[in-house]
Amino acid sequence: MSIQHHPTDDTLLRFAAGALNAGLTLVTEAHLHVCAQCRARLGEFEATGGALLDEQPPAALAPTAFADVLARLDGPAVAVRPPVPPANSDMPAVLAGCEIGRWWWLGRGIRYSQVRLPWAPEANVMLLRVAANRAVFPHTHAAHELTQILRGGYSDCTGTYGPGDMADADDTLLHQPWADAEGCLCLAALEGPMRLDGWLGRWQRRLGLY
Amino acid sequence: MALPGALLTPVESTAPLDAAAQARLIGLVALNQDRQAFALLFKHFAPRLKSFHLRAGLSDAAAEELAQETMILLWRKAARFDPACAGAATWVFTITRNLRTDHARRRIQAEVEALPEADPAASAEAIYMSGERAEMMRGALAALSTEQRRVIELSFFADTPHAAIATALHLPLGTVKSRIRLALARLRDALGAEP
Repeated sequence: MSIQHHPTDDTLLRFAAGALNAGLTLVTEAHLHVCAQCRARLGEFEATGGALLDEQPPAALAPTAFADVLARLDGPAVAVRPPVPPANSDMPAVLAGCEIGRWWWLGRGIRYSQVRLPWAPEANVMLLRVAANRAVFPHTHAAHELTQILRGGYSDCTGTYGPGDMADADDTLLHQPWADAEGCLCLAALEGPMRLDGWLGRWQRRLGLY
Repeated sequence: MALPGALLTPVESTAPLDAAAQARLIGLVALNQDRQAFALLFKHFAPRLKSFHLRAGLSDAAAEELAQETMILLWRKAARFDPACAGAATWVFTITRNLRTDHARRRIQAEVEALPEADPAASAEAIYMSGERAEMMRGALAALSTEQRRVIELSFFADTPHAAIATALHLPLGTVKSRIRLALARLRDALGAEP
């Protein structure tokens, strides 16, 4: 897998600092899972966090802090549940534990499925399937959007994306992705709601899909 | 009955633990559930963890609780620490970050602990290397300009998008982004990493 498109430094730094929302975190993890280069970059940012932690001036703890911690060491372990395999073996490992909703028709050759994160039910995460040589309607985004290509690929004004690539877009991008000859399956998360421009968007909004 | 750790209470003040010592002590906790080693780690990390969270704007009580919970997870997850992958302070940072982030915390409850345990007897070389890397990072941070350091700290301490950092510093967003980019480039150069 030759990965050409990666999350920006901003995105990885926010991931390292724990400042990305649950949905963006999940999609970033899907990329990190397949991209050693980004795992190394993330390692540097986390090491920055580690160095900042290590050089903090010590703060005064509660007088009983150490005794309290000792008393809790042997308490109930963190709950470990058996691994839940993703519903579909095509799906990346990071979707383990997620609930993949039914597939909705969203236009010619386009289907999407809402992904529910039990640990963050408010997260806006979706799987999007675009049939071969189909285009998604032009759209912009209200805020930060991350899209990880799981299978196939697409092209838009910013380049050609294949399996393993991540599109890291903000609210300045207006794009119309075209799926390649294989079609495209991707995992996307939004910081804000996606805005569909044009009649289909209005129709979707009326149906309450967005 | 006396508290099990009464004799270990880490009150006397000594020099902070260096990175290699931190890694060795975590190894002892993993290998022997060594409470003496844990006491030394507690003494080093717990007050710094609390300080870190206070700086991020948490209340005294919340920062104290996060510091304590982080130390408890350090004890329980010690076998997963691999000095070949990350320095000890970096590993502790990721634990506490995940506890602070609400969605990550809830996920820990349902976490699929599928990762293999690290080799409990980490090689002396891995511990040494992890200490060296931590030293390089410390040096790289110290070499940043005041402005660059400020944006990096705000990225970690203020749980906010860069637009909010820009507002806090009364700077245009573009300036904040380019400062962060420059600071990251300098850290990367100092670590001798690939661009």
